[in-house]
Amino acid sequence: MNFFKRAWLNVWAKKGRSVLLILVSSAILMFVLAGLLIRSAAVKATDQAKANVGATVTLSANRQAAFKKMQNSSRSKSSRPKMTLTPVKLSDATKITKLSNISSYNVTSSTSVNAKSYDTVSTSSGLSGGNSGGPGGMKSSTSTGDTQIDGVTSTSLATDFSSKQSKITKGRGITAADKNTNHVVIEKDLASQNNLTVGDTITVKEATGSKDKVKLKIVGIYKASSTSSSSAGPMSTDPANTMYTSYTLANTFKGTKYAGTADSVTFNVSNPAKVSSVKTAGKKLINTSKYALSTDDSSYQTVKASMSNVESFANKIVWLVAIAGTIILALIVILMIRERRFEIGVLLSLGEARWKIVAQFFAEMLMVIVVAVAIAGVGGKFVGSQLGSQLVSQSTTTTQTTTSSTGQPGGSGAPGGSGMKGGNGGPGNMSQSANSKAAKTELDVSVSAVNLAELGGFGLAITFLSIMIASGGILRLEPKKVLIS
Amino acid sequence: MLKTQGLGYWYQDKDQPLFQDINLEFEVGQSYAILGHSGTGKTTFLSLIAGLDKPKAGDILLDDRSLKKIGLTNYRRHDVSIVFQAYNLFTYMSPLNNLLTAMAITGAEHAGDKDFALKTLNDLGIGADLATRNVQHLSGGQQQRVAIARTMACDAQLVVADEPTGNLDEDNTKGVIEQFQRIAHDRQKCVIIVTHEPDVASQCDHQYRLENKQFTELV
Ligand SMILES: Nc1ncnc2c1ncn2[C@@H]1O[C@H](COP(=O)(O)OP(=O)(O)OP(=O)(O)O)[C@@H](O)[C@H]1O
Ligand SMILES: [Mg+2]
Repeated sequence: MNFFKRAWLNVWAKKGRSVLLILVSSAILMFVLAGLLIRSAAVKATDQAKANVGATVTLSANRQAAFKKMQNSSRSKSSRPKMTLTPVKLSDATKITKLSNISSYNVTSSTSVNAKSYDTVSTSSGLSGGNSGGPGGMKSSTSTGDTQIDGVTSTSLATDFSSKQSKITKGRGITAADKNTNHVVIEKDLASQNNLTVGDTITVKEATGSKDKVKLKIVGIYKASSTSSSSAGPMSTDPANTMYTSYTLANTFKGTKYAGTADSVTFNVSNPAKVSSVKTAGKKLINTSKYALSTDDSSYQTVKASMSNVESFANKIVWLVAIAGTIILALIVILMIRERRFEIGVLLSLGEARWKIVAQFFAEMLMVIVVAVAIAGVGGKFVGSQLGSQLVSQSTTTTQTTTSSTGQPGGSGAPGGSGMKGGNGGPGNMSQSANSKAAKTELDVSVSAVNLAELGGFGLAITFLSIMIASGGILRLEPKKVLIS
Repeated sequence: MLKTQGLGYWYQDKDQPLFQDINLEFEVGQSYAILGHSGTGKTTFLSLIAGLDKPKAGDILLDDRSLKKIGLTNYRRHDVSIVFQAYNLFTYMSPLNNLLTAMAITGAEHAGDKDFALKTLNDLGIGADLATRNVQHLSGGQQQRVAIARTMACDAQLVVADEPTGNLDEDNTKGVIEQFQRIAHDRQKCVIIVTHEPDVASQCDHQYRLENKQFTELV
């Protein structure tokens, strides 16, 4: 171990040179660490996104098949084409909930009723009056009421609530326990306009069938954000006229033949990466000519895409800096060794083994690198967090633009008719919330023990490689040429 | 102890060797001086003896074993100790550490013995105060004495020196030669010194002159 002692004596005696080497190595390692930090932060953020940003599979009527059928019938018959959508059977949904990776599900059944004991909120700009009959071509005004009823399993699972666009402000939301009850959650504006509060009872009149009057009990009040446009079918009125009930109540309003059905059932998939396998498995359980399973993991994909951009960039930084650092250090070491030819000659004349001379230089660099790793550990955090926040803001903006342009189809989900209310959320809405989440994803840049270990590994590898490159000179050096000149 | 057999060396031109067919014998307990004009090949000859280079012709035998067989690194480590004009010390160390380092590398009997190293230095007039400062802060004569102390601290039986008094004043020169004589006589080593100065050479037990590619002993 004499070479180790020599290394120490040398590093100590030539303090100026050692400090310079430490500074150069620190700079190189700081960039390596910055890359490592961004990379591990990106991995962490992607994992978090997996947990936070849900993905869903939605079971609904097969619109495409129904549309084709309608086209075919319109060709053969001269009568006005009618698109018939089969409501989803809850028994099918139950089968799908048994699949693995399904964490929860929400049944959605929407319809409309007419106000009886209260006045609906009318939008000043929009359509006048409560019960206008939607856009042109919609003649079934009989089936359209002025109050939108969104039947759900639980409001907390409804898109508007899970995306935080709507919030319960008083009382509570609809839960699975509200099944088969007359409980409703109404909007704040509607409540204040009619002086209604939690515990009050209101009366509505069915818009279809028997047109019975039904009493509803208010259990909660929610606030819809101004941008909220849930189930914004063309026939909708002011968002404040939307009430949430249990899907069973919505089915009752629609008529007896709708018992045990739903417009759609949305399943939350616990692991977003498994969405497509859930879809494949689910398809085997349903009649695909009548029903369709659509997936939405756009939020997950958005986060994943933006994070994998950051990750690959960080990877490039790590390798580029590591290679550049190795070259720089190797050049410095080569110069250093040239300047120490005489010393090497003396060692050789004393009969020292060549590998021990190389080991001495390696030990010297090792001492330098240990200090440099410590310095870089402190400095790299700053560089990393600066770079990290820049990268995330850049890449999320780009992906956001792409998703929102592809995320539109949800809006066009409502040709109405046959009592089926238009799009329940739909992918358009979903991606909106996804983007707001993705944009919020921050890179948590902190130096962990693992990062430092990785950095140490890189430092070691860089040192080892540069000494190896430079030691070619040592191995060829002839003591006679050095000592006798 | 050390024998050259038909030793010859040339740099580029085989037809113009510096020396050829050299048969000499060096014994322990004796000191040898090698004289000669500049450029005749004295340093080259010494580098062969020191195991820093391989002969072009002939062989060198240590106790009847060829250096080729012993291996040059091995030979340098255990059998020979070198003092050059340029002191060949580690510039970033103190005299004490220079000795300790050489003792560790050569695996000397007293390796690691600090007191022994200090005593050896002290014998050559390098006190404890000088022994622990950086070697570059010593005068030329003092550095040369450190280099000699190093050969004494190591166990090698053969000590070769190339103009060890080259840049020393008269007093220092005298002291250094006395030390070499003591190394040869008291420590029973074989000392070979290359020098320009006839005064230095005359103090050694044997004198050789390198001339016309041959060594001739002066009596
Ligand atoms: N590496 C080399 N390549 C070619 N020629 C060399 C080399 N080293 C020495 N020489 C030549 O070999 C000859 C002998 O050199 P050497 O150093 O052995 O002489 P020297 O007797 O020690 O001289 P001095 O008394 O000046 O030290 C010189 O003419 C020198 O120019
Ligand atoms: Mg010479």
